[in-house]
Amino acid sequence: MRLKQIFIALLFALVALSSSAYAEGHEATTHQEESAEKKAYQPKSISELASSFWETTGIKAIIDTDDGEMSADPAGESKEHVMSAFESSLGRIIMILIVFTLFYLAIAKGFEPLLLIPIAFGGLLANIPLAHMAGPEGMLGVIYNMGIANEFFPLLIFMGVGAMTDFGPLLANPKTALLGGAAQFGIFGSLVGAAALGFDLQDASAISIIGGADGPTSIFIANRLAPDMLGAIAVAAYSYMALVPVIQPPIMRALTTKEERQIKMGVQRPVHRLEKLIFPIIVLMLSIMVLPESTPLIGAFAFGNFAKESGVVDRLSDTMQNSLINTVTIFLGLGVGSKLAADKFLVLESLGIMVIGLLAFSAGTAMGVLMAKLMNKFSKEPINPLIGAAGVSAVPMSARVVSKVGSEEKPGNILLMHAMGPNVAGVIGSAVAAGVLLSIFK
Amino acid sequence: MADVNDVNNVVEALKFMVLGMGVVFLFLFVLVKVVELQAKLIAKYFPENAPQTPAVPAVNVTEDENRRVAAIIAAVTEFRNKKS
Repeated sequence: MRLKQIFIALLFALVALSSSAYAEGHEATTHQEESAEKKAYQPKSISELASSFWETTGIKAIIDTDDGEMSADPAGESKEHVMSAFESSLGRIIMILIVFTLFYLAIAKGFEPLLLIPIAFGGLLANIPLAHMAGPEGMLGVIYNMGIANEFFPLLIFMGVGAMTDFGPLLANPKTALLGGAAQFGIFGSLVGAAALGFDLQDASAISIIGGADGPTSIFIANRLAPDMLGAIAVAAYSYMALVPVIQPPIMRALTTKEERQIKMGVQRPVHRLEKLIFPIIVLMLSIMVLPESTPLIGAFAFGNFAKESGVVDRLSDTMQNSLINTVTIFLGLGVGSKLAADKFLVLESLGIMVIGLLAFSAGTAMGVLMAKLMNKFSKEPINPLIGAAGVSAVPMSARVVSKVGSEEKPGNILLMHAMGPNVAGVIGSAVAAGVLLSIFK
Repeated sequence: MADVNDVNNVVEALKFMVLGMGVVFLFLFVLVKVVELQAKLIAKYFPENAPQTPAVPAVNVTEDENRRVAAIIAAVTEFRNKKS
């Protein structure tokens, strides 16, 4: 029901966007012609008109590799450069094909469509020749400068995620929070990998945060530490989050025995309402004391959660978890998509980022599972090692994957709530890890 | 970041790892302890009693609603699966 509504809303948004995109491009070209005509109007023969029209078509812009077209960068003129032959022709075509692949993954395979569709469509728009939609005056550039360049949108998203998160399962079994810590090994393990590959430390840190499996955190950190790689990092983070159901299960199965996967976990104790209410305050207080650097993220998250648990501002929390986060998701997706322009994305670093991102994700999953195995050995109550995999954040995707794998092994074994504990702890863990990385480069 | 210390970068990254994992674990460990303490204190001073009872029916209603929705979704999925 709600999904359907969201889908319809998105559809409308897309229609609106594509029509506004059309209008914008159309306006730009007529505007150009007008100003050219005003300067020196000469009577033109029909063949001249036709040839000058040909000059402004996209086909010509793509075929003609040597037209000296400028790249579009939201930061303005200082960062723009003349596009190379590859960037302005074949590169665009490759990027458009990549975008269609993302469409396919989102629609046919159902991989995080809420994010991949806006991102991919933004990528499509950013690769339109001559329209300069990703430039400071273009729609995508405006969106980018409005909320991504200044880290505003990721924080709004975090607020919404906070308002959607139920810490009940974590409070019922607090020990599982440590699993969310173990999975952060994905970040720091891949940091070593990235450094070994020759990225400098600051870039390596920005890339490795992909292992936190948390889109907003990745964007936040990338923006601070390596803004040039933001597009590739965000796309890698969101694509791997979308690929959680593909990446995680083989790792989970490889590291556990059949008996371990069949472990049943007990019923969770009921959680007092006060505990839930105080929890966001505790998290915020701890992070104020230990890591003020990470408080923008944790603060927004705690605010959203506190508004939800307070129970007296349902209207606000409802807005945060529905209309606000949906609106921001559209903007965030399109803004990130603007970094899918050929001249930004088709660089060698992107390949490295994709490889390291995958490594980070796998390492995080593996470490979470191993830690859960260890805890199972020493804990009084049985712990199914599968729930360790949910320690990478990716809420609630990875908890669902854990639950699915668990019920495949033993029908009726429902691990979802148990996996939600490490899952939400993973969100806190990756925000803390992000704060540590920021503090290093302060 | 001179290119001389290419090997050092890895060593530095390892140090980051020790610091980062240490802080993350410490943070979550303290969090776990505080939460456990909180649970004990709340159970002691605010036992589940009178103020909790009015809330219970409300919770049950939403839960029932959720179950109904889940059942409907399950039925629809089943139906669709059979169809295709």
